[in-house]
Amino acid sequence: MVSKQEIARLAKLAKLYVKPEELDGLTEDLNRMIRFADAVATSPEKGSAFGGFDGRENIFREDVPHPSFRRDDILKNAGSAEDGFFLVRHRR
Amino acid sequence: MLESRELSCTELTEKYLNAIGKENAALNAYIRLTPETALETARRVDEDIASGRSLSPLEGIPMTLKDNISTKGIETTCCSKMLQGYVPIYDATVWKILKDQNAVLLGKTNMDEFAMGSTCENSCYGGAGNPHDPVRVAGGSSGGAAAAVASDLAVYGLGSDTGGSIREPASFCGAVGFKPTYGTVSRYGLVAFASSFDQIGPITQSVEDAALIYDVISRQDPMDSTCTGRKTAVVPDLGKGIRGLKIGIPREYFDNVPEDVRKALRNTLKIWKSMGAELSEFGMPSVKLGLPIYYILACAEASSNLGRYDGIRYGYCTPHYQNREEMVCKTRSEGFGREVKRRILLGTYVLSAGYYDAYYKKAQDLRGAVIRAFDDVFQKCDLILTPTVPTTAFPKGRTGGDPVENYQTDICTVPVNIAGLPAVSIPCGSGRDGMPVGMQLIGPRFSESVLLNAAYRYEQETGGEPYRVKGMGVDL
Repeated sequence: MVSKQEIARLAKLAKLYVKPEELDGLTEDLNRMIRFADAVATSPEKGSAFGGFDGRENIFREDVPHPSFRRDDILKNAGSAEDGFFLVRHRR
Repeated sequence: MLESRELSCTELTEKYLNAIGKENAALNAYIRLTPETALETARRVDEDIASGRSLSPLEGIPMTLKDNISTKGIETTCCSKMLQGYVPIYDATVWKILKDQNAVLLGKTNMDEFAMGSTCENSCYGGAGNPHDPVRVAGGSSGGAAAAVASDLAVYGLGSDTGGSIREPASFCGAVGFKPTYGTVSRYGLVAFASSFDQIGPITQSVEDAALIYDVISRQDPMDSTCTGRKTAVVPDLGKGIRGLKIGIPREYFDNVPEDVRKALRNTLKIWKSMGAELSEFGMPSVKLGLPIYYILACAEASSNLGRYDGIRYGYCTPHYQNREEMVCKTRSEGFGREVKRRILLGTYVLSAGYYDAYYKKAQDLRGAVIRAFDDVFQKCDLILTPTVPTTAFPKGRTGGDPVENYQTDICTVPVNIAGLPAVSIPCGSGRDGMPVGMQLIGPRFSESVLLNAAYRYEQETGGEPYRVKGMGVDL
């Protein structure tokens, strides 16, 4: 069983706010999901490490510069931008 | 029809747009229409036809994209408040390929938020309805695409499949849904849910169309390091005999399947035998852990992938906050829906200190065991046959409360994603309620030719009619 305090801690890690009125329902939901996941945690089967489907590692392209996106395109979806930078106000 | 000029591309496109105008309100398959883009492409195709140029197979064909596939200049929201208003500055590779071939994009289709769901009810735009009975779910997460294709409001659609999100809605709506081998279709531009599971694939009215689209979109892509492209084309192999094809039927996939769905699947066995396939039953107990393995790993990956949504570079931002931390937390809490938040929290839990080894690492090890189990099965048979979903499409609102009950819909589909295998769902009859039943065929990695040929042969043997609801859509 995971407590409400633990759910609140997880929410903080995940950068989520849980309103007090939501906490009971969310705790119940997460406990159901964790009990479901316990089938893996308690399985006697050992398995073996999954290292990807085809064994390829560290796939790099050639170190040749390519054009990237224009700065003003990248900023098009920003809520706020100033002088070519994303603007994050301290408070609103 | 286009090259013979029975119909111009513009006329064809207008027919589809008119049909959508009449029928989409009941289905909510489309959440965004792109008539100007569609008609501009159609006019270009008509000019090319008039100049005498031959068309490539997908040119001028009205189609749709799930709303998690990036389309430059066209809003792409993943049906989440978090991305409402987000307009990508680049095209997904699959869309670029099709756009370069003058595919006529009719619009973007409805989906469960960030592809998390199996009913399409987790959408900020409201759920999609099933064309066979709009009070029932279309399935998910590519529910809108499946509903659009099955109601002939598009010739084909592209969806994405992380745990069954192409195959399950295709099964519910009575269409063909194909999830390719992981790594054969580029994920560049697909908004990430679980990066080692996600794969784009077609939802179509025929297996031949699925094969055609796969051959076009499956290319190596330098923008996706996991994408190697396909090994061989599928279309040239369609129509080959399947005498001697070994089809295995795993007993565990039929546990808890109601009798009407079992009967529809049993009826297919006579057809397979008549075509010369060799059927055998076997046990595959490792797949029983498939659902919890999938949900641990997919939610862990999702908690990482969705960490990027902070209101700064794109997407929703909370209007009032006192500091940056509050800004990020309130943005995410207000922008994400309930199911997304639940999955992020589960993912955070299984990755957190003290739980990582017991859940995430163990699930990764068991993933390896599932892959080996499939490898062992494919030593003895060429394909595996299962139901796509244990049930037919159920009424909307049924799976409201218990998240784990909702996840049971994916029980037959998730093992495929765990092992990165190709699989196709094709309609194979109806349940007691008259709703479509889907049969799933699963093949070894890179076996698309054998897999889709078998599905094609079955489809032809059972009449070869397009899978769509009669009297709906354009219905040419």
